[in-house]
Amino acid sequence: MCVQLHHCVGVKANRDGVLGRRDFLKGISASAIAGGLAGGLLHWTDLVTAQAADLRSRGMACILLWMQGGPSQFETFNPKSGTANGGDTKAISTAVPGIQIAEGYPELAKQAGDVAFIRTVNSREGAHPRAQLLMHTGYLPMATVKYPTLGSLVAHEIAGGAGQLPSFVRIGGLRNTGGSAGFLGTEFDPFDISNPAAPPTNTTVQTDLPRYKQRLNLLDQLEAAAGGGKMSPESAEHKKLYERAVKMITSPDMKAFDLSKESDQIRQGYGETNFGAGCLLARRLVESGVTFVEVVLDGWDTHQDNFGRTTKLAETVDKPFATLIADLKLRGMLDKTLVVWMGEFGRTPTINANAGRDHYPKAFNVALAGGGIHGGRVVGETDSSGVEIKDRPVAVNDLFQTFCKSLGMKAETENMSPIGRPIKVVDGGKPVHELFV
Amino acid sequence: MSKLIAVVMVGSLAFAAVRSSLSAAEYNTAVKQTPLMSWTGKPKPPSLAQTDPTAVAQEVDKLLVEDLAAADDSDKVMKFDRRAPDEVFLRRIYLDFIGRNPTPDEVTAFVLDQSSNKRGKVIDRLLDDPRFGENWARYWRDVIMYHRSDDRAQLAAPALNEYLTEQFNKNAPWDGIVRSFITATGDVRENGATGLIMAQNGNAADITSEVSRIFMGVQIQCANCHDHKTDRWKREQFHQLAAFFPRIAVKPVKEDDKRSFEVIGNDRPFKINNPKLANRPVGSPEHFMPDLKHPETDGTKMQPVFFLTGQRLAYGTSDAERRDSIAKWITSPADEWFAKAFVNRVWAELVGEGFYEPIDDIGPDRTCIAPKTSDCLAHEFVDSNFDVKRVYRIIAATEAYQRDSRTRRSPNDMPFAANCPERLRGDEVYDALVAALGMNDSLPGVRLSEAMGGKGGKGAALLRSPRNQFDQVFGFDPSTPRDEVTGSIPQALLLMNGPQINRAINGNRPGTELGQLLASTNDNESVATELYLRCLGREPNKAELQTCIAHVKNSQTRAAGFEDILWALINSTEFLQRK
Repeated sequence: MCVQLHHCVGVKANRDGVLGRRDFLKGISASAIAGGLAGGLLHWTDLVTAQAADLRSRGMACILLWMQGGPSQFETFNPKSGTANGGDTKAISTAVPGIQIAEGYPELAKQAGDVAFIRTVNSREGAHPRAQLLMHTGYLPMATVKYPTLGSLVAHEIAGGAGQLPSFVRIGGLRNTGGSAGFLGTEFDPFDISNPAAPPTNTTVQTDLPRYKQRLNLLDQLEAAAGGGKMSPESAEHKKLYERAVKMITSPDMKAFDLSKESDQIRQGYGETNFGAGCLLARRLVESGVTFVEVVLDGWDTHQDNFGRTTKLAETVDKPFATLIADLKLRGMLDKTLVVWMGEFGRTPTINANAGRDHYPKAFNVALAGGGIHGGRVVGETDSSGVEIKDRPVAVNDLFQTFCKSLGMKAETENMSPIGRPIKVVDGGKPVHELFV
Repeated sequence: MSKLIAVVMVGSLAFAAVRSSLSAAEYNTAVKQTPLMSWTGKPKPPSLAQTDPTAVAQEVDKLLVEDLAAADDSDKVMKFDRRAPDEVFLRRIYLDFIGRNPTPDEVTAFVLDQSSNKRGKVIDRLLDDPRFGENWARYWRDVIMYHRSDDRAQLAAPALNEYLTEQFNKNAPWDGIVRSFITATGDVRENGATGLIMAQNGNAADITSEVSRIFMGVQIQCANCHDHKTDRWKREQFHQLAAFFPRIAVKPVKEDDKRSFEVIGNDRPFKINNPKLANRPVGSPEHFMPDLKHPETDGTKMQPVFFLTGQRLAYGTSDAERRDSIAKWITSPADEWFAKAFVNRVWAELVGEGFYEPIDDIGPDRTCIAPKTSDCLAHEFVDSNFDVKRVYRIIAATEAYQRDSRTRRSPNDMPFAANCPERLRGDEVYDALVAALGMNDSLPGVRLSEAMGGKGGKGAALLRSPRNQFDQVFGFDPSTPRDEVTGSIPQALLLMNGPQINRAINGNRPGTELGQLLASTNDNESVATELYLRCLGREPNKAELQTCIAHVKNSQTRAAGFEDILWALINSTEFLQRK
């Protein structure tokens, strides 16, 4: 019994250090209840408290720069300059001798000592929706199980959260294409920000603060009066949620959403674009205790005019990405913050009739920095035509194992789907060990 | 039986009258005449299809007590809650049947109605209300669409909604509706029955999972990759079922400004060389079970076989025949899980807890907490030729449905002692707000439109309606066990701070409902009562009324005081749940 209980609790401690009611009931067998609920409960509470403290102490965070549409590896971090498949894209040298990336990334090249490039990530999914879910969840989508997206997983496993802000914020997300908390429940869903330069939706109080407090007080009184002086469990849960929401929007931490608090110099460093503002906001949120921030940049589906479009995209990405790494490092946050740059797949080696590249999941690239990842290195190699993997293929579950290792998450932890099926944080795969030594 | 309390015995006596109308000989003849199958190895009970729904409801209540007595070997006395008060019943049946709160007038009229069968009359009236079909169409649209594998499937949602509304309102039999889903072809924006296939983008394995989960409650997809760990299903059986669907293809339609998809049965599969379309299902002549050790190989060719009955088709059979056959076999009266999945779902939605939970994970290896009751309702459903409205009519007439509500039980409490409160679905919250605040169906909800309507957002226009934006925040998959559906921070923020909502509760603006109400009377008690009726479908109790009056007195202005009260009511627990 104790073993079962411990297992369940280890899995389910959430940001408030308490279990969902159903999880709690699932974890405790009927015999334990018959044998004395009080004893079981006490035991359980102790464990949760210990666990939550342990989780908080890790203090890890993750920023995912999501390149929606499937970024071309040839025009980012695996150029094949001088070959037919490479097109006109030139390679440039970086701060690390021997590592070359595409010419659109001169700022990032300067930070290459902190960045690891994996050039041999591969999957079999060449359609956007399935590939987006695969790269966000580590699982192939299934009609009947809603796998949690990376941000929800990380929030669930390591947020443990003392902070007032949501543990998972997604900036510029597109119609849920990045997935949700799935079976982990709404508590771990992303908090969506459509415009990083404006206050988040519905967080501005519509009356003066004293009146707002009066209203909340009236709500409490009426809830109590409705229950004849007693508060129903539904009412208690509702109150808890409202208290969290009110705490959040009246918290000084909300200043994290206000980019005008940054100096002009810093804001210019991140660039004037929405994506740049998103990267700056991501850094501010992590500083304020948010565990996972996803910043979405759309436009990588370059079936036409691949070269013109990826040039513009590079201008959008290069400066904020490089500045983010430098800024995190300067503030001493890089070791505890994993930065991931990726999209759903790569682009075809052959250039099509519209000067575009099509979908190519067979070999594509991902860039990682911080979070204990050793930068200044390249993992894996494709052949000179960029068609085949020559050395060191990295599967999607290897990549997710790598995230876990960096963030101090146990990949083998099992969470329960609604039909009671245990589902591992990551199914199979091994961390890319070269990145940690 | 000694442990039953009097409340229950009333139902039992009424049942005895029904059953006594059949002699033993008639009973045996009835059993012989319906040799259909022995679902549980027991003789099939006589058909109740000709029996009055109220009498069937009494039979159901009686069986439920028997089931509960059989499940509990202690000497504890069974305790059931009393009947719900009129206003609780009325709001419950309005929300359950038509997805709306009753209006203040409807509440008053009902409470004042002295006739003994007034609850039955409301049940009948609401079943005939066109909003019944609309409400349950939205429910089933959500059941299907929350499991979509591709957001483009949302294109099919409006047609799906319209189709189901029509079917439910004309009380089309459930088996026919389900067959239309399984056999559907055509443009997904025109034929709503294609919705399920479009939601799975024509993928054979995913269609298989969903057809089995939604219509039979059997989660056979766990056997997709390995033999099922807790069920009898084998991996081979999953892929044999998938072998009914390999020829389905979903084809993009591009005509002028129209952008859509077409579901077709592709009996002459072609290879597509365009890598952009490589993953779009174009149909394959047969289904292959992947070789897990060698995923690069074709795998094993599978013959179409239905796992519940062993009925099969030959290789080479056309798409139409494959889908017609499996549609007939799944919806056959011989398939107990087809009938049980539906009645279990409707029972769970109405009474608050299913015979099986989760409602989409039933089957022979699952525990049923009231087997006789479940069997009775399922047989009834089959015998009445899958009469959908009749299922609702019977369940709503039971004491189990009409009891007062009590918080969800813990596992060692007896089930069905009370009805169980449920969180409202997104559409219901939306309609409740529109009605309470008089917002004219134009509640702009949240600012998700920027994110959703951005460039390249195909079908984004469909998602931009206020109702849909609102549903992004308040919606949930209706198959999720209700105790796992929790409130969220964005929901609380929207109700507390949404600028549109705060404008609509402004008591100083003559255009708002509150402004008009305040102008119409100086009696504060009347205003408070009216607000409770509009928001919660009931009058305030004494403590609530006192709290309201005191608050208005202490507020700077009368309007401000009532604004706060209206704000508190739409932010209350009760506003978001049905008791």
